[in-house]
Formats: sequence, structure tokens, C-alpha cells
Amino acid sequence: MTLPATAHDVPRRAGGAVLEARDVRVRYGGVEAVAGASLTIEAPQVVGLIGPNGAGKSSLLAAIGGQVRTVSGTVLLAGEDVTRLPPHRRARLGIIRTFQSASVFDGLTVFENLLVAGIGEHGATLRAALLERRRAHARTEAASQLARSVLEEFELWHIADHYGRELSGGQRRLVEIARCLMRDPKLLLLDEPMVGVAPHLVERIGEHCKRICERGVAIVIVEHSMEVISSICDRVVVMASAQVIDDGSFDVVMTSGSVREAYLA
Amino acid sequence: MSYYLSTIAVYFGADLLAAWALNMQFGWAGVPNFAFIIFQAAGAYTYAAVTLGPDSGVNSFQHYILGANLPFPLPLLVAALAGGVVSLVVGLITLRRLRRDYQAAVFLLAAVIAIDVVSADVNLFNGSNGLAAVPQPVASLQNSLGLGAYQWVYAAFVALICVGALVLVRSLGRSGWQRALRAARDDEPGARALGLNPSILRLQVFVIGGMIAGLSGGLLVGFISAWSPGAWAYSETFAVLTGIILGGVSNDWGVLIGTFLIQIAFQEVTALFLPQIGYPGLTDALVWVVIGVLWLTVLFVRPRGILPEKRFRVLAVPRTRIWRGGR
Repeated sequence: MTLPATAHDVPRRAGGAVLEARDVRVRYGGVEAVAGASLTIEAPQVVGLIGPNGAGKSSLLAAIGGQVRTVSGTVLLAGEDVTRLPPHRRARLGIIRTFQSASVFDGLTVFENLLVAGIGEHGATLRAALLERRRAHARTEAASQLARSVLEEFELWHIADHYGRELSGGQRRLVEIARCLMRDPKLLLLDEPMVGVAPHLVERIGEHCKRICERGVAIVIVEHSMEVISSICDRVVVMASAQVIDDGSFDVVMTSGSVREAYLA
Repeated sequence: MSYYLSTIAVYFGADLLAAWALNMQFGWAGVPNFAFIIFQAAGAYTYAAVTLGPDSGVNSFQHYILGANLPFPLPLLVAALAGGVVSLVVGLITLRRLRRDYQAAVFLLAAVIAIDVVSADVNLFNGSNGLAAVPQPVASLQNSLGLGAYQWVYAAFVALICVGALVLVRSLGRSGWQRALRAARDDEPGARALGLNPSILRLQVFVIGGMIAGLSGGLLVGFISAWSPGAWAYSETFAVLTGIILGGVSNDWGVLIGTFLIQIAFQEVTALFLPQIGYPGLTDALVWVVIGVLWLTVLFVRPRGILPEKRFRVLAVPRTRIWRGGR
């Protein structure tokens, strides 16, 4: 079964890249985690963000997603400045992310995990619960159908009734990524999605990433495995010491020596 | 006996309303509202103050603010509103930025501060003596029916409100709003990353819970005609919580069973039948010790309570029913 069409093709502002992060700086107390990093994604593609631990990859992701405040710099989504928006507002505009430690709602079933994302903020209002019940019901019905499609595509339908807390590490990763699709993302930020995942699931997650990108979703993936990066990424951005030090195709980046430099620095 | 049973029925109804309200806040949203009892107290005091009339003449023996003489059922609505307003103020301070463990500490402090302020400020609600001679609603009915029958009518009225509250709670419990609350409870950053705003969601459930608590306080004081700081010690919140945890967090019927077992079968019955041993107050103190031990025992032995939260199922039901809720 294939997924219903997503609405990622919302018209962008003229000249607007999917993502444009300019000179972003993130500071934790006295530590500068991101020191003027820039990242532009013109069209839907899978971008690998690599670098040694402490290079600032997750912080850059958090700055784009709104989980941390930037000291300076600008984040544009499809030409729209989202720098000062909180994470939930950015998510509503299409920036959806996963976390280093898989974020699954443990007290909700797998199906509900997807449903809560699919219904979205409009279906989750008190007004909808009290006064617009018919409309809320219709929204739930549509989200339920999409949830079933997504779970079937991810081969998770058989565990739809399992609570989040009952899932294995790999299943949690898959549910987290599947849940992101329910939000109709324009930009998907995946923070080390393969950590703790069995090899056969790593392959499946990689395939899903490519398929999601083919539907027009730009993906930024933080990953340490070069095998994964080489197999799924159209482009690789290298970070070291809080800065972007290289940007290009996997082969170009690997031959330029920047990766060696980054990891040996 | 009939008098006693009707009294117990009213107490149970008021306790049940409080328990459902706290379950929404604690069970659905994960808000550790240890200040819950102050919202019930806000409703009770407000109900008393807007039914007693001015604190002069026959009421000159006590001092209080507001001093109105509203006809029934307006005082109940005002009581619910008072619970909502107080919970909005407390919620705005507590729920937006604080982590859950700090929230618990602030709530506990708020409960202690509130009771100290109300006890110390005699002009607010007559200090530690509290308010007395609160008129019962539709007093003419009491004259025509007699006290015994009137109490049963009141119990029936409370039961009716409980049914209304149950309908509301169950309706909200099946909504996307409740699912979003549970998501934010389990993983706030994850919920935010999906476009939900946990701060607003929590504030909403906090205010709704506060309104129901205020209503239950109004119903109580309308029945017992008096309210003082002795009725709303912060430990009362723990009795409500123990009932919720024993019955089953996030299960409306479980909460009903737990509330009955703790508030009625245990607390009321022990108050009536347990012999007073040792120095005055020792038995009451031991009852609280037992409640604490019971809470811990339930958490160890059956952490999900007598009736655990119902699992949302889609696989066990025919596909045509999946989209209608699947519960």
C-alpha cells in the first residue's frame, strides 16, 4: 500500500529554499556549540550531517527545529523566517524532527502515537473536543486511515495496539519516523535514527528515508555510520568544532580529506 | 441510619467530582497537582460568601469578603468559576516553565501558603474559625419535606451533577484533546516537535479540573453549611490521589471505585466506628498513616490500580468500527 499524497507541495515563496540556516550560533552557558554554521537545502534531498561527537550537529538540528534558542543567525523555512518561533509553531509550518533518544509516547498505543500526530493541533483543541465534535470525528477518521496506511507501509500494523513502552528499540525508531509522516513535513530532521537499531532495521529505515524524500520531503540526518550516509544521502555536510567545514557529495567530501581532518582534529 | 446514608451519599458525590477532576489533571496530563484541595476550598468559600449575605446583622459574628445573597443555583456556578479563576492564576505561575518535579513542590507550597493566609486573615473568610450558618439551597423545600427527605433530594441532585460530570469527562476522554494531553504527559519535547503546545493544553485541563473542584466544594458547603481551614488541609489532596491510584489512573470507573474505597469505605467508616485510642487525634493520624502506606503498597503491588487505563484497540475490532474510536 502506498501513502496518500502529502501536502508538502505548498507553494514556496519565490526564491525560497526548503531550508536556509544562515550563520547560526548556539551557546550553552560559556560553551559555543554552533559557531556561525550555515546550511541551505534548495530542493528535497537527503542531507547527511556528520562530524565527531561535540561537533555541534545535534545543536544545529535543535536550532533549526526550535528546541534551542539561537544567539544569532537566521532560520528560513521555504523563505519564511522562523528564527523566533517556538518548536510547536515550526512543526506546524513543516519542520518535524526526531530525537537522539527515540521519542515515543509510552502511554499511548502505536496507533495512537500516529493518530495524535495526524489529528494535529486543530483536532487537539478543547473547542474541537467540546463544540466541534462532528468535525473532530471526521478529522480523526481521516487521520486513522492515514495512520493505517503508514503503519502498513512501515510493516508495523501488527503492533498497532502495543503501548509505546512495550516496543523494542528498533520499533520505537520506526514508530517515531512513521509518526513524523503523519504531520506532512516539508523538512524532516532525524537525529541519529539508527542508534541501537538492528542491522536489518537500519536498512529499512534507510529505505524509508529515500522513499520519504522521493515524495518531496527534505531530510537532514545526523549519523555516524558512513555506510548509512553513503547509501542514502544525496549530499554530506561535515561539522567540526561547532562549524561547517565541508559540504558536497559523499565521494567529494570523502576525497577532500575534511572528514579525516574533522575526526582527527 | 437514613440520615447517615444520605450524608455519605453527598460526600461520595462531592469526592467523586473532585477525584474525576484531579484524574484529568494528574492522570491525563501528568500534572502533580498537590494543591488540588485549594480549588475545592475556593469554590466552598465563594459559595458560602455569595449565599450568606453581608457580614452584618445576623452574620456579624463572622467576617468575609463578597457578602452577596445569590439565589440557587447561581452560587454553584460562581463556586465553579472561583475554582477556575484560582486554578488559572496558580496554573499560569506553575505550568508554563517549571519541570514536573518543581511543579509538585510549588503546588505543595501553594496549598500550605493558601491555608496559612486564609487562617491568618480574619477579614477574608473569617480566619481559622471559618464560615458557618451557610444557607442550604432551596430552604423552603427543607421546611416542606423535612430534613431527612431534603437530604435525599440533595443527594439526588449531587448524583445528577455527577452523571453530568461523567458524561463530560468521558466525552473529553475520547477526544483528540485528551490524547494530546497524554502525549504531552509522556514526552513534552516530542509533543512540541509534532506541533502541540503542552503549556496551553495543561492550562486548559488545569482550569477545567479547578472548575469541577470548585463545584464540588460548593456542593459540600451547601450541604454541611460550614467551611473552615480544618476541612481543606493539604493532606486531603493525598486522600483523593490515593483513591485515583488505587482505582486506576485514567479510568473513570476505576477512579469511582478507588474513591469509594478510600473516601467512604475507609475514611468515613473509620471515622464512625474506630475507637479513639491513645491521646486525642492519634486515631485520625493513624488513618493518614494507613492511607500513605496503602498508596505505596498499591504502587508496588498493582501500579495501574484495580481497573487499569483502557487500551485503545484497533486490531481486535472490525475495520468499520476502527474509525469510531475502537474502545
